[in-house]
Amino acid sequence: MSTAVATTARARQRPRLDFSRVARSGLATWIVVAALVLGLTVHDASGFWTTGNIANVLTAMVVLGLVSVGQNVVVLTGGIDLSVGSAATLTGLLAAIMIDGYPERAIPVVIAVLAIGALIGVGHGLLIARVKLPPFVVTLATFFILQGVAFMITSSPTGQVTKNLSNFALEKTGFFPHAFIVLIVAVALVAFLLYRTALGRNVYAVGGDSEAARSNGVPVTSTLVWAYVVCGLLAAAAGIMLAARATIGSPTAGQGLELSAIAAVVIGGSSLMGGRGTLVGTVGGVLLFALIETSFTLLQIEATLNDLIRGLVIIAAAAIFVSKDDR
Amino acid sequence: MSGAVPVLEARGLVKEFPGVRALDGASIACGAGHVHALVGENGAGKSTMVRILTGNESADAGEVLLDGQVVRFGGPREALAAGVTAVYQELTVLPAMSVLDNVMLGQERTRRRVLDNRERRRVAREALGRVGLGDVDLGRRAEDLSLASRQLIEIARALARETRVLILDEPTAVLAGEALESIHRVVRSVAAEGIAVIYISHLLEEVRELADQVTVLRDGKDVSTGPIAAYDVPKMVREMVGRDVDSVFPDPAPHGEEVVMSVAGLRPRGDDGPGLDFELHAGEIVGLAGLLGSGRTRLLRTFAGDGGRSGGKIAVGGREVRAGLHAAIDAGVVLVPEERKVEGLALGLPVRANVTLASIAGIARGGWLDRRREKRAYEEERERLGIRASGPEQLTGQLSGGNQQKVVLAKWLRTRPRVLLLDEPTRGIDVGAKAEIYALIRELAAQGMAVVFASSDLTEVVGLSQRVLVCRDGQVVGRLEREDVDPEGIMHMAFGTGAAA
Repeated sequence: MSTAVATTARARQRPRLDFSRVARSGLATWIVVAALVLGLTVHDASGFWTTGNIANVLTAMVVLGLVSVGQNVVVLTGGIDLSVGSAATLTGLLAAIMIDGYPERAIPVVIAVLAIGALIGVGHGLLIARVKLPPFVVTLATFFILQGVAFMITSSPTGQVTKNLSNFALEKTGFFPHAFIVLIVAVALVAFLLYRTALGRNVYAVGGDSEAARSNGVPVTSTLVWAYVVCGLLAAAAGIMLAARATIGSPTAGQGLELSAIAAVVIGGSSLMGGRGTLVGTVGGVLLFALIETSFTLLQIEATLNDLIRGLVIIAAAAIFVSKDDR
Repeated sequence: MSGAVPVLEARGLVKEFPGVRALDGASIACGAGHVHALVGENGAGKSTMVRILTGNESADAGEVLLDGQVVRFGGPREALAAGVTAVYQELTVLPAMSVLDNVMLGQERTRRRVLDNRERRRVAREALGRVGLGDVDLGRRAEDLSLASRQLIEIARALARETRVLILDEPTAVLAGEALESIHRVVRSVAAEGIAVIYISHLLEEVRELADQVTVLRDGKDVSTGPIAAYDVPKMVREMVGRDVDSVFPDPAPHGEEVVMSVAGLRPRGDDGPGLDFELHAGEIVGLAGLLGSGRTRLLRTFAGDGGRSGGKIAVGGREVRAGLHAAIDAGVVLVPEERKVEGLALGLPVRANVTLASIAGIARGGWLDRRREKRAYEEERERLGIRASGPEQLTGQLSGGNQQKVVLAKWLRTRPRVLLLDEPTRGIDVGAKAEIYALIRELAAQGMAVVFASSDLTEVVGLSQRVLVCRDGQVVGRLEREDVDPEGIMHMAFGTGAAA
């Protein structure tokens, strides 16, 4: 019928090393981190490279790192979890109240609180994957609900963690804060999950195109549920670290964490559309924020400028890194 | 298939979507080792049938049998587990993932729950080898590969599974030459292994060459089925359309004398050639031929004010038109783009909204949308163009390709253009709807509209045009009047072989 001529497929030729590719791999974030470290070194090497300052930077990474790594898994599926700050607040508060200073309660309560975090994730996952509500809406709702529950429990700081727990959160050996171990373990586990298991491949596939994943036999529902479980679990871990550091529970401890976490993920090169991004980049984003936060005293800048500078960094990162063909 | 139970059988499938009965009692039976072609116009129900067979959709009535046993797939995973694998028309290759991850999608090999990379690579290599992609870099991202390679990856993914039935939904639509050949080879070897293959294609010569059996779907029913030897191409077309389509290209009426658009020394942006001089008359149909990337599309876009100019002038009705989309539209020059789903339509909006999209000022009264007028506009266009939709409120994305194209046409025709530009007006549109689009273009020309269209389909270029311009390397390298137009001559010019004009 038709003399089809020249239907040759367009070979998409792209330069192999374009900048958006570098940004997506998370490398670009580390270049910025390196530049910042270099700048701080030049500015005040003796002030920056002290064990105390390094320990401060690493400490600042722990809580934000935990929620960001969890957030990253969700963002890779094409979703978002706005509730991680509220979840951390509530779980930290519950941990402090339930432990209430009794050493023998510490371990069971930590396990129980982590389970609560996981359960929050299950709820998110089912509402999103089964009921098919948009992640933004679901987690916006739980952002308010979990915060509301925390305020129902108490409007002022209360409860108490054990000495051991607060020591763990606050002590350090040289430049190394012991709490940093928690972040290392979390990053290692999530890295293993993302890059060495079928679940990890499925996370990327669902984020890339959930309909394509589904028709090729990827279990989309369970993949989404697992992603939100990981995120909830890490939010709870962050909550415990918050309580441990403050030694008591506070109904406002985790406020704002969700946005910082999303920012760290985005700066780390992950696409909010899902399917693209690396854990390395997110950790870089977290380190970048920790550096900014701890550098104010070093640079003798008003600490109140923190949010302003963070915002500018996000816009700069988005303008520079985010590739135009982002869909 | 004498007496043997078919591997996969569908009986009396019915599926209704809002306003459309996509399947209306369709059956098919495919035996082991056979290639069974499924043909039909767009909207005949082929894709819906595939979606039911693969568990993506459940039938309202009818049954699917595997080895003579009734099966009910709750989802694609169950169908895959039962050995029914499909390669979909819309590519499901994930651009951001590596070749390896793409082939293994949904069928990961693990050992103690950890990805078994050695096994994954082995399986992927083997499957890729079978589709002739044995030497592709497994770590490369799919988005860096050509469309043809991605299509082959999609097939490799299916082959890596333990499959008993392989359904290929237009696997060659984007391919040509060697890639096409390698898919044909794969299909033959897969069938030789005893796998039942259901093959969907619009290229009927291809079907003749490849299939053992054929089933023709029309309006959701299987109207005809039998061994391919009993079907020549005209017969298949007849069965698909339900009538003969021989008078597709009647001789055009002579065009008028009035020059509608005149182009002088036109150079699209980035073009440093001598520039194009060209006059388009009222009622004239000009075809732009040339290979992909020859500059056809760029030329059309420049006419339409898009993409900028490096030099030259365009005048419509004697008045100069500045570069820019709005200036062109105001002057009555409109473009129906190739990618209608992306550039031509708001797929999520109802048909009426798309019909009036470009002429909304005529629908609104003092800034307020007049729903009644909009509905009337829809009815007018539905009648004029023969748009088949369940009503003005149907979502445009639910229409078949041919009907979507008519909606794009309707949208622009309502602006009363003087020059209609069309880029691949019948790409992805079935035989019957093609003939309707051709008749429509002819009719518009007969009413005095000037038409320029670009197409890769030489039959279309030769049949429809009064004049043909051939593009190569961004330049118009040849001009042919209707009496001198022949496909071979066009090809020589397009490739730059033989005597150029």
